[in-house]
Amino acid sequence: MKPMLSTDLNVADTTVEKAKIEIKNLNFYYGQSKALKDINLSLPERSVTAFIGPSGCGKSTLLRVLNRIYELYPKQSAEGQVLLDGKNILDRSQDLNLLRTKIGMVFQKPTPFPMSIYENIAFGVRLYEKISKAEMDSRVESALKRAALWNEVKDKLNASGQSLSGGQQQRLCIARTVAVKPEVILLDEPASALDPLSTAKIEELIDELQADYTIVIVTHNMQQAARVSRQTAFMYLGELVEFDRTEKIFTSPREKRTQDYITGRFG
Amino acid sequence: MSTAQSLHQSRKRKNAVMMALCVIAAGIGLAWLALILGALLYKGLSGVSLAVFTQMTPPPGDAGGLLNAIYGSIVMTIIGIVVGTPIGVLAGTYMAEYGRFSKLTTVVRFINDILLSAPSIIVGLFVYELMVRPMGHFSAIAGAVALSILVIPVVVRTTEDMLNLVPNALREAGTAIGAPRWVVIRSVAYRAALSGIVTGILLAIARISGETAPLLFTALNNQFWSSNLNAPMASLPVTIFQFALSPYEEWQQLAWTGALIITLTVLGLSIIARSLTGRREDR
Repeated sequence: MKPMLSTDLNVADTTVEKAKIEIKNLNFYYGQSKALKDINLSLPERSVTAFIGPSGCGKSTLLRVLNRIYELYPKQSAEGQVLLDGKNILDRSQDLNLLRTKIGMVFQKPTPFPMSIYENIAFGVRLYEKISKAEMDSRVESALKRAALWNEVKDKLNASGQSLSGGQQQRLCIARTVAVKPEVILLDEPASALDPLSTAKIEELIDELQADYTIVIVTHNMQQAARVSRQTAFMYLGELVEFDRTEKIFTSPREKRTQDYITGRFG
Repeated sequence: MSTAQSLHQSRKRKNAVMMALCVIAAGIGLAWLALILGALLYKGLSGVSLAVFTQMTPPPGDAGGLLNAIYGSIVMTIIGIVVGTPIGVLAGTYMAEYGRFSKLTTVVRFINDILLSAPSIIVGLFVYELMVRPMGHFSAIAGAVALSILVIPVVVRTTEDMLNLVPNALREAGTAIGAPRWVVIRSVAYRAALSGIVTGILLAIARISGETAPLLFTALNNQFWSSNLNAPMASLPVTIFQFALSPYEEWQQLAWTGALIITLTVLGLSIIARSLTGRREDR
């Protein structure tokens, strides 16, 4: 017999752990067009959540709401609530720079700053902390170790960040994000521009990082979502279709659209 | 012959004609440049001596040098750049960073493009009305202001263009790490666009170091040594203008030499600018 209790949105009760981020009735607009429709979602702390769905479904848009990076561009607006530890970050009074030190982001294309490897990491740390050279050195080292890049770059910390390979650049970006000690890390298709070996390294890294951080990853690659995430949200045409534990989504989804997508019938 | 073959033949003929026309046009363009450089080297090089750089412009019929003119050109160019560059860079920064999506930027860009192609003599007249008339006399500072007005549009344009070439992903990355906007601009966008912005400044120096018209109405000229910014000052272009039109042989020779000095300076700056941009594209 089917359980009697089920919500309209088919959002299962995964919040055994404490929710780090709660998204409530979120709508998002690019000018007049509505890109996210009434999203309700709760992301558990210290765990990896994947957003999957076909191109244009709004998964990247949703990710970009979480650190309000969309505000760089005019005519993009969000309404509703995004609660980080219970506090609405969409509130006008929210200091954006402080928010972004708490919620780091890594992008699809590696984006090392035009400076040395060392400076790429020290740059973000220096913004909000005054620490000695020695402390900074150890901070840079631990961030690079965290991102499994230390052994490859320890002898050329003064080389340009842009001289690294694509996979190394992406790990440098992760190191840079980790160095400012965020609570949440947003990953926007972090491995889609990388070769399989670099991708494996990044995925391994994500797996390690979830012990300390709440991680949200947007990915086109369903195997990747299945490999790295604890829970998965399937989005389609700006709607959250289904959100559940990852193995549930990939083995016995409740929605036909989810089933069709993960079995490759569309998207 | 089949249709396909005859079509192919006629296309090949047309291609040959077009290519010949293009080569001839390019050749004519280059030939003039070579002729000018050749004439300058031929006529100017013979006059180059230590005296050119150590002695003042002579009275008619005497030997002398170009020291006061070279000094005046350098001083006015430096002041023009020092005044014009910050304004140009800041305006370009506003247009590419803060006001990228604003109407004001479109308006400023349009006006800047007009200023960029405005005849420099109009800038000279403008500064004449603005400074020389109220002050009652010609002065080096008026000349420098006229030059700085020519610097601004060049620097605005290159700064905006170069900042626009910086990928947005880089700005997003800077923002995503918690950097305030001005830090992202200063430490990320400027750094990424640095060689391009410097190139724009070098091009502006090259542009103003050869300008004559705006100086005629402002700094005028000076036969003697003068480092007083509040008095008329000699400059290479105006001296060349005056000496080349004169009937005196010594003056004409100095005009050729001065022209050679300016041309080589501009050429040098252009080469530096080129190599800076070239290195950026390599990356």
